[in-house]
Amino acid sequence: MSATDDVARMLTLVPWLLERPGASLAEIATAFGVEVATIRRDLGALDFCGLPGLGGGDLFDVTTVGDRVVVQMADELKRPLKPTPSEALRLVLTVDAMADVAGEEVPALRSAVGKIRAALGIPRTTADVVADAGPLLASTLRDAIRDRVQVEIDYRARGAETATTRLVDPWALHVVDGTWYLQAFDHTRGGRRPVPRPRGAAARRGPPPPARGRPPPPPPPRYVAGPDDVEVVLVVEQGGRWLADAVVLDEQRERPDGRLELHLRTDAPAWLAQLVLMAGGQARVAQPAALRAEVVALARSARARYATSATEAAGAGPTGTDDHAAS
Amino acid sequence: MTAKVERLVNLTVALLETRRPLTLRELKQRTGYYDQADGAAARRMFERDKDELRRLGVPVTVAPVPHSEEQGYLVPRREYELADIELTGEEVAALGLAVRLTGAEGTPLALAKLAARAPDPVALPEPTTRVELSVDAVDAIADAVVRRRSVRFGYRRADGTDGRRAVDPFAVVRRRAAWYVVGRDHDRDALRAFRLDRMTDEPRAFGDDDAFTVPDDLDVERAVAGPEEEGVPVLLAVAPAARWAVELRGGARTGRTHADWPVYELPGLHPWRDRSWILGLGPDVVVLDPPRLRDAVVAALDAVLAPGADAPGSEPT
Repeated sequence: MSATDDVARMLTLVPWLLERPGASLAEIATAFGVEVATIRRDLGALDFCGLPGLGGGDLFDVTTVGDRVVVQMADELKRPLKPTPSEALRLVLTVDAMADVAGEEVPALRSAVGKIRAALGIPRTTADVVADAGPLLASTLRDAIRDRVQVEIDYRARGAETATTRLVDPWALHVVDGTWYLQAFDHTRGGRRPVPRPRGAAARRGPPPPARGRPPPPPPPRYVAGPDDVEVVLVVEQGGRWLADAVVLDEQRERPDGRLELHLRTDAPAWLAQLVLMAGGQARVAQPAALRAEVVALARSARARYATSATEAAGAGPTGTDDHAAS
Repeated sequence: MTAKVERLVNLTVALLETRRPLTLRELKQRTGYYDQADGAAARRMFERDKDELRRLGVPVTVAPVPHSEEQGYLVPRREYELADIELTGEEVAALGLAVRLTGAEGTPLALAKLAARAPDPVALPEPTTRVELSVDAVDAIADAVVRRRSVRFGYRRADGTDGRRAVDPFAVVRRRAAWYVVGRDHDRDALRAFRLDRMTDEPRAFGDDDAFTVPDDLDVERAVAGPEEEGVPVLLAVAPAARWAVELRGGARTGRTHADWPVYELPGLHPWRDRSWILGLGPDVVVLDPPRLRDAVVAALDAVLAPGADAPGSEPT
């Protein structure tokens, strides 16, 4: 943290404290998003601020009793410094993003963003939400999280003939750059896991919640490899490089032939097979063979749907494909 | 460090408190700083401090001093102070929630400025939805937008090819939960939109401030929709297992069926991205129309099934 940051904070600290005589160190630290020690240091310095040059000086009066703070004689800084244009834009963008996905649940987000946009002078031609995230979010899931009820999800693992129904305790939806994840405790498979893009799924409100405590707060939506995971190597062409962002990688290697090699582990090879299929030939499974076979089987049965004869298509479904995801 | 922080705060107070421009000599008397025997050194120190305050957003103004050849300095209170914003305790809490849940660094201070004279936040229920931002990219772009500086970044197009772009960033917009920067692409000399999550490195500003002007008739919504986003209506036959996915995407039943599956119409699909979305649904959908998309899906499936597809082919190195 630079001296500049410290100055900006102190110029804000004074008006904040003038409004709240007797605020506690902890409250101040929370409001400014810094450590209590930083606030202590700021207050120590503030005691030497004001107009030191005039006669004996005309300094701010900072009194700390216990952990309570009172600032007086600082009316020169009665109002806060305007946020810089860049700070203002970043704040509007942040709140816009949150209002976009949670504005229905927390209406104050929307009214607040309107007010700060006007006050900070950020026009809609500089920052705007042109199409909201609404359609991406399943309201059934959102309602279930709020009402703390379980949800039955028909999740069709790739390669599986039919959907399996899973019972989950959902506790958060996460939106990461246009993709959403469901954070849930999965009773059917056991364990707490992020379900990426639960879009091959239908959700119904399930039975009332079990009589036990809530699960702990959600971990970040990062996949953590487990001991039973399948080790996978994908080789991708230029057009399949987006896969590197779509999965959590152990390693990636540029090959001399211009291809990219992705090393990863997964507990949901069926989902991975779907991703490989989405790359439309721009990605190949180097290992394991079972996953490679799964991709081929999926592509073959999908391709068969476009055969001239309907009967030919109907008979060409995948057979005997393992559902890795359910194992 | 502390001495410098104190000096900058006190300089701000002195410049705010005065009604008329103060010369450096007067500032020396008022603050007790800049009293080096070497006048040039004192001047240099003051100039550095002044620049630093300006970076913070303190509007240090230079003005002529009456009956003197010297320049004077002051901070006009009206330009310095943030006018009161009538925020409710709920709104303050909502702003705090947004800053906390998105983990945007640097925004807590901006929030503290807004909240300094507002009511204390009330307790709000935790929303069920969280959002993560590509904070670094958003920060870099926001800074370039307000300073009107061009930026350069690596970018992966929707078709997967990589390239470098140089852009005059006009605006940042959000569309269907993704961020875009809208601006003039230097190479194409045309308005383009770029998704922040497709940038392959952090955008870097280059060149001078105020390097461009934003066109008066800028239509951000149209820019984001862009020519390559122009959608075509698509007809899909959908198996029961994929119905939910198609409906979530905005598909509506037409009432017709195709080989026992209901036929859905989707209003406008993107030629690249949606080809891969359809591929991901595997054997559960059949593209009926338009023929161009149908052919593209068939060609992609053929590519997956190309000779050698079920052999390892490419061994890991």
